[in-house]
Amino acid sequence: MTWLSKDFRSLRDFGSLRRTGTCPRKRGHGTRLVLACLLAGACCVSCGRQGDSGEADTGEDAEVTTRGSCEVTAQLLELRGTFPDLPNYHYAFVMKYKVLQVHRGKIDGDTIYVAHYDPHKPRAAAADVRAEGIGGNLRQFEAGDEHRMALEAPIDDYYMGGMINRYFKEWKGPIYWAVWTNRVVR
Amino acid sequence: MASKTAWVLGLILGAGLSAAFAAEPPRDERTAGLAREVRDKGWIAYGGRSTNGTWDLFLTRPDGSQRRNITNTPDFEEGAPRFSPDGKKMLYRRTPKGTEISHDNWGFQGRLVIANADGSDPKVSGAEKEYPWASWSPDGREIACLTLKGIDFVDLATKKVLRRLPRRGMFQQMFWSPDGKWFCGAADYIGDVWTIARINAASGELNAVHMFQSCTPDWFPDSRHIIFSSRPPNQPGGNGYGWTQLWMADGEGKDWRLVYGEDGRHVYGGALSPDGKYVLFSRGLVDGGGSESSGAPLCVMRMSDAPTIAGPSKDLRKVHPSTKDGPVLQFGEGWEPCWTYAEIGAAK
Repeated sequence: MTWLSKDFRSLRDFGSLRRTGTCPRKRGHGTRLVLACLLAGACCVSCGRQGDSGEADTGEDAEVTTRGSCEVTAQLLELRGTFPDLPNYHYAFVMKYKVLQVHRGKIDGDTIYVAHYDPHKPRAAAADVRAEGIGGNLRQFEAGDEHRMALEAPIDDYYMGGMINRYFKEWKGPIYWAVWTNRVVR
Repeated sequence: MASKTAWVLGLILGAGLSAAFAAEPPRDERTAGLAREVRDKGWIAYGGRSTNGTWDLFLTRPDGSQRRNITNTPDFEEGAPRFSPDGKKMLYRRTPKGTEISHDNWGFQGRLVIANADGSDPKVSGAEKEYPWASWSPDGREIACLTLKGIDFVDLATKKVLRRLPRRGMFQQMFWSPDGKWFCGAADYIGDVWTIARINAASGELNAVHMFQSCTPDWFPDSRHIIFSSRPPNQPGGNGYGWTQLWMADGEGKDWRLVYGEDGRHVYGGALSPDGKYVLFSRGLVDGGGSESSGAPLCVMRMSDAPTIAGPSKDLRKVHPSTKDGPVLQFGEGWEPCWTYAEIGAAK
């Protein structure tokens, strides 16, 4: 509820300022309509995933296009099993992707395996002393979603930490390290 | 209002005092006997919360007597001391005041310091995060460091990297065996995380010692056995999270045995006395060893009393019906203790 109250307060102030340019004052009917739309939008963004507003987003930004040595847009094919319930520990979790487009670098094959650090966290909050410089605007991982990612490989050259790889028996090739992960909306 | 405040303050103070006494329970005859037995067997060093509010290093006799703060640096947090094999030096990590010491990442944190075993003449080596997971060679002339690029053998006099081995998935808590032939550490192994692994220091080959939720390994003096913490699956306690226990195995990954366990406690920091007759550990209420707060109660028990289960531990006793339940000597609160039989000097 805290975020809602805060957002509502800022939206209310924004609506008032829009009309007056200075201090908030009594609002008219039109302002209420604008407010309702803005509030609904805020709810969508806060309660759901980004992009639920329906706006297309290629995931391109200044970070994903410059970090890492490879950059792809790929679809997350599945989440194999659940993330371990280990709140006191940090780990990378390997996920399987279908490559849709290679923007930079060389990627072998159209299926890649990517390790995301502390996958239960929003990407913007995942970096720490063991995984410095990672990030992105993705808030949560869901099978079927498309991500634009800046990657590095092999992972052992970039990450030293716990890694859960449930594809170990079927895939002996490279594991990519997810440096930056943005959500793509078609 | 004043009397109400005094009443509340009294309650808080009382609770604090209770907690302080709870850390060192009264010793029964068996525990007192163990205390007499270990009193003159060298010194234990550990990191702990000091009265200046930061983490400092402490020395104590193994029965908890003659405890003294050997760093007392209000501007730094210090932890994870390791005596050199001859007991003359110690290495540890130092971070700026206010840094939270991570129970998993501490080997990457701050700077490496090498000092005399009594804490005097501390010398900082390298920059922040340099020489991660430094561990003594048997002759004390080198340290091995677990880095992203591999296991580096570093000459202490010149600071040159003499050799590098692939780390093969090992990622933290690496220790060099007393005979110099092996490394143990926590590793990623066949897709699973938190496996205790052993690496041959000559060939670089790795083998698993114990898989699934296992960490903080250390060597027995024989360089053939490893002690480690493990949280076995399918424990009903802790709302299904389970409790972390102290285990041992041989380096080949055979002959796993419970050393100490207690439902309601997470046991970490397992370390052997130099003759392998006693084992040190911490028994915390929360998982992780307590480095993020003020540590956990530190304990000593005889290895000949393993396996020992403390308290009612109804669930654990079902799995291990035959235990010796020897005396466990508790002597303070801290984290990552280590033991030397060298004489370090009289208490200041």
